[in-house]
Amino acid sequence: MTPHISPAIITRIREFGESDLMVSYLTADRGLLKGVAKGARRSRRRFPNCLELFCLSDMEYEQKKRGDLVFLHSCRLVDAFPGLRSDYHSLALASYMAELTEVLFPPGVVDKRIFELLKNSLHALDEGFRGDILRILFEGRALALAGYSIDLDCCCQCGRRYAGEGRAVFNRVKGGIGCLKCEEERVDSPGLAPESINALRIIQSSSWDQLKNLELTEEAIREITPVIRLHMEYRVGRPLKTAKFLP
Amino acid sequence: MTMGIYPPSLEKLIEHFTLLPGIGQKSATRMALFILKSERGVAEGLARSLMEVKEKIRLCSTCFNLTDDDPCSICLDRNRAGQTVCVVEGPGDLLALEASGTYRGKYHVLHGVLSPLDGIGPEHLKIGELLNRLETEGIREVILATNPTTEGEATASFLAKALLKKDSHLKVTRIALGVPMGGDLKYMDPMTLQHALKSRMPINR
Ligand SMILES: [Zn+2]
Ligand SMILES: [Zn+2]
Repeated sequence: MTPHISPAIITRIREFGESDLMVSYLTADRGLLKGVAKGARRSRRRFPNCLELFCLSDMEYEQKKRGDLVFLHSCRLVDAFPGLRSDYHSLALASYMAELTEVLFPPGVVDKRIFELLKNSLHALDEGFRGDILRILFEGRALALAGYSIDLDCCCQCGRRYAGEGRAVFNRVKGGIGCLKCEEERVDSPGLAPESINALRIIQSSSWDQLKNLELTEEAIREITPVIRLHMEYRVGRPLKTAKFLP
Repeated sequence: MTMGIYPPSLEKLIEHFTLLPGIGQKSATRMALFILKSERGVAEGLARSLMEVKEKIRLCSTCFNLTDDDPCSICLDRNRAGQTVCVVEGPGDLLALEASGTYRGKYHVLHGVLSPLDGIGPEHLKIGELLNRLETEGIREVILATNPTTEGEATASFLAKALLKKDSHLKVTRIALGVPMGGDLKYMDPMTLQHALKSRMPINR
């Protein structure tokens, strides 16, 4: 069997045995994989500092059959995102994005776009992108890629089309918005202005090249944040472990 | 779990050995059979040491190193510079630095690194205790010697900020990163080479 090479983002790493490392990594072409790097703590030649949490590396590996642990041959560092190391809040947000990725795209689920999203988000974080904005961009887009878009087209109760005018209310059980005739704004069903709904639509459907230049007003950020969080908690079914380390 | 081909008491020992880090079923069986074959004294000595470690070893209440006595021998040593503290992740790192024989200051053991993915935040490490030592011991320099991993680096940055916030006159240093002994530049990653060039040293004549 010939080894396969994928660009990969390392999402977990732990010491294994005397001199090995157990590594989980996300690839564009084979999804999330987990495997052993034999002798990685000794061999600097095959693994020259490329097995580091959240590094982007070219990974050379073999997998006997789907679902098995992979065997890592070697790797080469592409980008270490050094900014993540110089700030604890960045590390916490990177960890959160990695955990959300693992939850939404478990081993066997392959989507090139989530790889690109995580890679671009780590890059943005490295360059000092605002954390609270990056968080909602990542959450909204990752949920949409996983098939959990918030339905912004019609009222989830009466079915009336949302024409882009007037406020609407988020309904977490339906995973959509409702009109003011059907729903009432409360803490667990927060309201959204038309600009916020439009921004949310863009977040859910755009690639990173468009997202990174998206201009969000402070009001939109304030409104979208609780909506995405409620939606995510309801869909994922439990809070993420890393969430408590975010500001 | 084993398939139960050995007598229950042997099975139980094998099972216990598999709890140790890096020990699989095969090694555990080999170890258990060795104990079985060796003289009674070996087993007794091992059993005694296991219990002694649990009963006697504790953490030094100052530096949190493993010790039989509190405070530990390093904290009590008057020949060591008391105004310099070297912060390490674990007792193993402290031992490695001690074995190098070049450092003559005090230590502080964090017992881990900040790691959100493993659920470890600042409150789980001996960080508050380190900040308290600044005042009570009149510390002038803190050397941050966490490992140069993603989490070790993030922990060092977190500590540097917290330490300087508490005492802006404090000297905070980070151990140098660079080309290891016996290394080969051709096989170094770009990050290491960047660090090595940045932290280059003049050669004094
Ligand atoms: Zn309606
Ligand atoms: Zn001590």
